[in-house]
Amino acid sequence: MTDTPLRDVGPAAAAGPASQIRRRRSRRMKALFPYLLVAPAVIYLLGITLYPGIYAIIQSFHAVKFGPWQPVGFDNYVRLMGDYQFWGALWNTFVIGSISLTLQCVLALILAFYAYRDPWVQGWRIVFLVPMLFMPSAVAFIYKLSFLDARVFSDLLQRIGLIDGNLAIQSSVWGSRALLILADVWQWTPFLFIIFVAALQGQDEEVEEAARLDGASWFSIFWNISLPLMKPVIAVALILRGIDITTMFTNVFIITKGGPAFGTETISYFIYRTGFKFFNFGYASAASVVMLILTIIIAQVVVKRAFVSARN
Amino acid sequence: MARIELQNVEKRWGAVVGVRDVDLDIADEELVVFLGPSGCGKTTTMRMIAGLEDPSEGEIRMDGEVMNEVDARDRDVAMVFQGYALYPNMTIYENIRFPLRMRDVPKADQDRLIREAAAMVELEDYLDRKPGALSGGQRQRAALARAIVRKPQVFLMDEPLSNLDAKLRQAMRVQIKHLQRQLRITTVYVTHDQIEAMTLADRIVVMAGGSIQQIGTPDQIYRDPANTFVAGFIGSPPMNLIEGRVEGGTFSAPGISVPGLSHAEGRAVTLGVRPEDCHVAEGAAHLTGHVYGIEPTGDMTYLTVKAGDKLIEVKADRDFRADLDTPQGVTFDMDRLYLFAGESGERIR
Ligand SMILES: Nc1ncnc2c1ncn2[C@@H]1O[C@H](COP(=O)(O)OP(=O)(O)O)[C@@H](O)[C@H]1O
Ligand SMILES: [Mg+2]
Repeated sequence: MTDTPLRDVGPAAAAGPASQIRRRRSRRMKALFPYLLVAPAVIYLLGITLYPGIYAIIQSFHAVKFGPWQPVGFDNYVRLMGDYQFWGALWNTFVIGSISLTLQCVLALILAFYAYRDPWVQGWRIVFLVPMLFMPSAVAFIYKLSFLDARVFSDLLQRIGLIDGNLAIQSSVWGSRALLILADVWQWTPFLFIIFVAALQGQDEEVEEAARLDGASWFSIFWNISLPLMKPVIAVALILRGIDITTMFTNVFIITKGGPAFGTETISYFIYRTGFKFFNFGYASAASVVMLILTIIIAQVVVKRAFVSARN
Repeated sequence: MARIELQNVEKRWGAVVGVRDVDLDIADEELVVFLGPSGCGKTTTMRMIAGLEDPSEGEIRMDGEVMNEVDARDRDVAMVFQGYALYPNMTIYENIRFPLRMRDVPKADQDRLIREAAAMVELEDYLDRKPGALSGGQRQRAALARAIVRKPQVFLMDEPLSNLDAKLRQAMRVQIKHLQRQLRITTVYVTHDQIEAMTLADRIVVMAGGSIQQIGTPDQIYRDPANTFVAGFIGSPPMNLIEGRVEGGTFSAPGISVPGLSHAEGRAVTLGVRPEDCHVAEGAAHLTGHVYGIEPTGDMTYLTVKAGDKLIEVKADRDFRADLDTPQGVTFDMDRLYLFAGESGERIR
């Protein structure tokens, strides 16, 4: 945009009608411009989240197979409450999610605290992001190939003489869960690491030095000072990751397909199976809505507690 | 109890020199003040004593023992940081308790020591607040209490009063000096405020540009400055410094002529004279100029006289009055004059 005609209201600029028209138009343009800039993002966001969200809520009150929608009131929800596969999926999601989240959080915290004043780490932060940059399905396939189908991992262990025969990870519920946890931890620890490093670097260095002079070891500084100050950041990171893990799908779909014996079937996979294998769309929508409500409640509780205790 | 020695200490970051050639011997129970403008290396020197910064050259000893390799947490040094550095997530009580906990002081003694320390800085009523809920002065005192609670070998204070208002600063100054005498702990105090330095110090270390300019008692620093930097930094208003030449035993500069200075014959010099050693003259005078400004403060009158293009500060009698731009003579106290070499600024004795 040229700003000379906008600013210059002296006699020279007001001389011709052409310049006045140009000025008026650019002023309207100026007011509109920010909205135009964000419009694509907003439309996109509404299109892919709000619309399907409302659609799913409406659908959850209907029986939807292939024909027309039949309104059924709360039938889908009532049936859901008695569905042991739904509860099983909830439980699996909770078990896999909480173990994975705890592991990656603790691991990232330890790494971050160990590394955050290191100039090398500060310069090469981006390197730690690499696992996050891979396409999730590609990561899932690598894990599937390494541990299940091609059994690279079993083979390596056999060659160095640690085990006889193949590891039967597929046939063990906990083995399969461990595999999903491992893949998720590997892929997402760097994300938490980066966030925690940034939070630690933002903390007042003098406070830490004061603690050193007071006789605190590295661990007591971390435990007594850095960690409590990081609470809000940890809470936000856990919520972001928690929501992500609650909706874990890719790894389940590619690595375990929910097996063995539904032992790794997460909520997302349950919804997928209900919707796209049994084409029970209304029922799948009801499960989605329940999960959405659960996620919001949990996030709300975590945020509230973390922020209140940090402030006082 | 500790004596601190710094020998040829230097600190560099790549090509940046923070501090160079620091030789200093601090006696047990002494209160030494590092004084100098911002960026002159005071904090760096103090941090090296604390062990938060490793010297690039030289040796730091405490009670004769070389400390260079000793970790900060094992030096038994307590520091009050410029920004207080209180632990924001702990109450004041927990803040003061932290050094005791870290040094395994028996639980039974902790409470008593905390309350004693809090009483010394009059902070008993605020123990269950968090630092965020205290005023600057209270935080300041909390930081002091945390430092004194474990009776360290050495106290380090980095501009601890710089964030306080003038009145509180004066009250805290008295409190700090009193505490230091009472606890008899070797103390290094950093400030850029010469009044603070003069009132607190047993000895002042004047620093500029990363090196020590002069070490001495406040009286020595005031009465016997080693160079123009020290002369111009100490005193309020600071010493008048007038560039000129000595020819035939007489110092001359535009509008100024001072006879009887034969020991710098034929040299370019800087003549130093403090405002309180300048007197308003009726007849013959060392300096003749015009009244440039006059500022009565009640107990005295600050008179500024312009001679040539130089402004000379004079502390005149409180009843002195004059109109601007009227001619004015000034005489100097002949036995309170200082001569400094023109080039180096070093004192000529
Ligand atoms: N970590 C550092 N890296 C590079 N230069 C530094 C560092 N710390 C201090 N300096 C430099 O050293 C000099 C002295 O600093 P400092 O001791 O903080 O001064 P003071 O406390 O007297 O104001 C300054 O010029 C400053 O820029
Ligand atoms: Mg400083």
